[in-house]
Amino acid sequence: MASRIVERFEQYRSRNEDAALVLLAVTALSLVVAFVLFYQQSRWTVVPVAAFLVLTVVGWVRYQATVARGLTFVMTVATVAVLGLIVAFLVVRAWPAFEQMGLEALYRTEEPLWKPAKTTPWSLAPMIVGTMVTTAIATVVAAPLGIAGALYISEIASETTREVVKPGIELMAGIPSITYGFIGFVIVNRFFYEAFQTSTIGNYFTVGVMIGIMALPTIVSVAEDALSTVPEAMKSGALAVGTTNWQTMKSVTVPSAFSGVSAAVLLGVGRAMGETMAATVMIPHTKGFADPVYDVFGGVGETLTTVIAFEGGNATGRHIEGLFAAGVVLFAMVLVLSVTAQLIQARMRSKYGGDR
Amino acid sequence: MSTVTRHALVAGETTLREYVSTGVMAVGAVLFLASWAVLFQWVGERTPVLGVDLFTLFGVLLLAMAAGIAGVGVASRLGHVSASPSASAGLVAGSLFGGIGFVTGGLVASQTLGMGTVGWLAVAVATGVAAAALAVVPREDVGSTLPAALFLALVGALLVTDTLGLGWSWSPNDVSATFVGSVMVPVVTIAGSLVGSWSAAKARAGFGTQGREAGAFYLIRLSVFGMLGVLTLLVGFIVKNGLETALTNAQFGLDGHLDLPGALFGVALPDWSLPFVDVQVPFVTNVSQSLYVDVPGLAPAILGTLWLVVGAMLFAIPLGLAAAIFLAEYTESRLFRQLVEVATNGLWSTPSIVFGLFGLAFLVPRFGGGKSLLSGQLVLGFMLLPLVVITSYESIKAVPDEYRDASAALGVTQWQTIRSAVLPAAMPGVITGVILGVGRIAGETAPLLLVYGGPPFASQNPNVLSSFQFTSSPPFVSNTALLDAGSALPYQLYTSITSGRLPGQGAPFTVQDFGWGTALVLLVVVLGLYAVGIASRLYFRNKLYNE
Amino acid sequence: MSNADVSHQSTPAPASTTTTGETEETVRESWRTYDVTGEPAVAVEDLNVHYGDDHALKDVSMDIPEESVTALIGPSGCGKSTFLRCLNRMNDRIKAARIDGSVEVGGEEIYQDGVDLVELRKRVGMVFQAPNPFPKSIRENVSYGPRKHGDLDTSLLSRLLGRDDAEAEEALVEQCLRDAALYEEVADRLEDNALGLSGGQQQRLCIARALAVDPDVLLMDEPASALDPIATAKIEDLIGELAEDYTVVVVTHNMQQAARISDQTAVFLTGGELVEYGDTDQVFESPESQRVEDYITGKFG
Repeated sequence: MASRIVERFEQYRSRNEDAALVLLAVTALSLVVAFVLFYQQSRWTVVPVAAFLVLTVVGWVRYQATVARGLTFVMTVATVAVLGLIVAFLVVRAWPAFEQMGLEALYRTEEPLWKPAKTTPWSLAPMIVGTMVTTAIATVVAAPLGIAGALYISEIASETTREVVKPGIELMAGIPSITYGFIGFVIVNRFFYEAFQTSTIGNYFTVGVMIGIMALPTIVSVAEDALSTVPEAMKSGALAVGTTNWQTMKSVTVPSAFSGVSAAVLLGVGRAMGETMAATVMIPHTKGFADPVYDVFGGVGETLTTVIAFEGGNATGRHIEGLFAAGVVLFAMVLVLSVTAQLIQARMRSKYGGDR
Repeated sequence: MSTVTRHALVAGETTLREYVSTGVMAVGAVLFLASWAVLFQWVGERTPVLGVDLFTLFGVLLLAMAAGIAGVGVASRLGHVSASPSASAGLVAGSLFGGIGFVTGGLVASQTLGMGTVGWLAVAVATGVAAAALAVVPREDVGSTLPAALFLALVGALLVTDTLGLGWSWSPNDVSATFVGSVMVPVVTIAGSLVGSWSAAKARAGFGTQGREAGAFYLIRLSVFGMLGVLTLLVGFIVKNGLETALTNAQFGLDGHLDLPGALFGVALPDWSLPFVDVQVPFVTNVSQSLYVDVPGLAPAILGTLWLVVGAMLFAIPLGLAAAIFLAEYTESRLFRQLVEVATNGLWSTPSIVFGLFGLAFLVPRFGGGKSLLSGQLVLGFMLLPLVVITSYESIKAVPDEYRDASAALGVTQWQTIRSAVLPAAMPGVITGVILGVGRIAGETAPLLLVYGGPPFASQNPNVLSSFQFTSSPPFVSNTALLDAGSALPYQLYTSITSGRLPGQGAPFTVQDFGWGTALVLLVVVLGLYAVGIASRLYFRNKLYNE
Repeated sequence: MSNADVSHQSTPAPASTTTTGETEETVRESWRTYDVTGEPAVAVEDLNVHYGDDHALKDVSMDIPEESVTALIGPSGCGKSTFLRCLNRMNDRIKAARIDGSVEVGGEEIYQDGVDLVELRKRVGMVFQAPNPFPKSIRENVSYGPRKHGDLDTSLLSRLLGRDDAEAEEALVEQCLRDAALYEEVADRLEDNALGLSGGQQQRLCIARALAVDPDVLLMDEPASALDPIATAKIEDLIGELAEDYTVVVVTHNMQQAARISDQTAVFLTGGELVEYGDTDQVFESPESQRVEDYITGKFG
């Protein structure tokens, strides 16, 4: 392995001028120095940044091809590094909180539950349960409707209706989350408070339905992509023995695209789980456990995202570290869903040999 | 093979079965829409229609649907109308009707008859099993109509007799909500119209495989209709409620004028004053809070969003595009490409609030310790980054290899090929992707709460351009505007929800109206970007196909 | 008939200049009166197909006799596959296609309002160019059609009620696999996934799948083009046997194959025209049209 890298490097060196390589190395080095100084909160960060810019311009003028390749590589590494930085900073800032409570922070159900302080125990369990309840409601709303929408767009709609429905669904994804939240806050919450005489304005049920609607477009578009990868020959084969379109969908199209459709649902669930603003403005922000757990109209309501958004702006000390811990849990949950969905999609892609 | 049955190849005239089923479906559609109208309180629940109460009329119509469905089913079974039903309605329909039977039986037993837990459970199980059996055991034409008709008849009877009416209410012990008649009547009517219309759709297509297709397609079409309905309602609410606020004290006229100082052009022209359209929209051009404005406006928020988006683009586009070029054109290592793909997809699915936390931990302490525009720009840039990488990568990969081969065959270097052949061809896709991505981050709120959000109602606009200063000590350049917290459109909408009232005295509207106005402006900005993105995609695609 | 107009349209084929419009007319008359014994299984009259601006089939008329093999040959892009897909209205799947004219199957017009496509496709089965078995077991592939039509009830419900058609299914699957000359090879692995079969086996499975619906007419779109010579030979033998019970219409671009397996041959040439139609021996040994002779002898196409 190491020898191969050396060999590749030798090849690379032989193809490029030495001066260009040195320049490239210095450029990259100045970027690294800039990052280190920035990390150290140094006021001198501006010097290596300026050096980087000047060197880039010089290199671009003199050795464009070499510098272009080198720069794009550096940028690619930087993109990957962003994810690494996010993980690192989340974990580092959350570490003291986990050190205090250990994993008990995830399942502790006795009072006191909130908020994190150095001397009293606390727990993320109410928010984890809240996230699960709202996500479950959202999935019940979004999964069947989303799959139905995907089937409609890819299999049923005529050319003209598709031209209307598809952009419509995309627009739905485009409406900002806070706008859904505003409508939910002003109209839906108030309606439920008056019509169902709930104890608080806002509850898990309305939040779950709202984020379900918001997760719909994700499911529709990803599932539609999956359905359209099923080869036309297979659908034709079913239709040619005289089955109806619906039978073809049920017995050939959907089973063949099953993994892709389930990936779509997983991604939609991930969206619902990470949904922040609509939930933040609609939820009552009381920490606790509904009793019984299916009492989704009750007065308790807080999820992982809402607690961070609601309290993060003004928290300090152990409180903010606790919120970082909430962020770590949330990030882990969403990442698991997203990676699973990607694995499923990759398998589906290799199954049909398509390279999209 | 003798196992195969044959039916007529060409259908005859429209039959009685189709007329009746179509009628039932039409009544179902009317009931469905009317019930939603009642739920949205567009129609009062006490409105008398044709001399009877609205809810009584609902009951009568449900009974009529029940009669129609049952009539078609029984007539088909007795052979009076032609159809091609299967042997049974199937387990799916069976479990569906079983579920409806269970819920209905349980509710009727516990609420109407007042039975205890054991009693209602027994009745619920009994009705559930009976409904499932009625659906599954007989031939399909009976199995998919009679249970539906019974359900509709029961609901209709409850409504007509006012057993379930405006005076009805139910507070279950373990759920902290009260179900009252004015809400539950439309809800059960919606359920009834769905079940009835589904059954009628099957009957209309003559049961059998085609009937199942018709029933399923009916439900699918209805879901899509519902989704578009939600979209229309959202946009409609915002436009209806926001327009008045947004146009407070607005002036539109033709009597404005544009001053052109001739001296500006360096020639001896008289100072011209051109007639021009006069448009003044104080809600868009005023600051949000000041002693000197009578209409609180959105100017700080609009400019804040603009600067956030510009900063994010300046950061994310070069980085993302470069990464995409490297991935698509340079790297030959599959492992490396997969690693980057996993990382970008991971970034894409990372919740926005987590980006906010990251900004709070990484950027805020390094930009003076407070919330700042620069942190906001960078955090939004991080969020835009994966979208730029993914869309650019896809569109670069979509450029046909012939372009590269043609260019390479002329003896051009790889970078020149990329620059002169690949990138121009990929640009439409990149631009479209960036526009859609910008539309997404322009509406993003959660990270701004943690890294950028300033006072709820800003009293001055961010002056980024005029705030650059050179200083003698590092970092030599400073820009106070970049290091200030501020407002943005989505953030402004958030603060108008969380703050109880508008600051100051004498604003011509309430804070909620202010919110509606903000929502409208935000929607116009974001959907405008989306519309441009989608339109450019269609434009480039058509151009591609027509060449 | 407006055939004369069409035949005067110049085609890029060099041979068309040597054939006068008049002889072309007589040629057409001769195949129109081609002697079909008994009722034709499929009667096509003035069929035109447009894909957008592209005129893919021009005024095609032909009667296809029952219980025989009819081969459609011609160079690529001549419209023979399009023609085939008109006979069970699979072209309806292509949104841009516009189809005019008349096709009667078993005496009933299939291009009119109220035609039940499901019923039509039960009567006119189809086998595609590339084998396209479903990713299900071999048994399920064969019994797919009858099951979906409700003729074989093997659902969970009927099994619970003890009135399923498992035995009938068993018999049907065996019969169809035997008819498709596949049974011996797969008898002991009916539950295996069909995608595990070889290409030739998959194609015969697709034929068995089509036979299970008991069609009157079986359309085959270059059924052997994706197969090796041995598998091709098996399919060719099979087609001959099938013609005892079914009306087989087979598209091929392989003229030797057409000559080997078919009773009558229709030659389509560039531009979507049907140029000659008659007994296979006659078409290959003494074609009436110069263009067809040129095509068959390899001078163009």
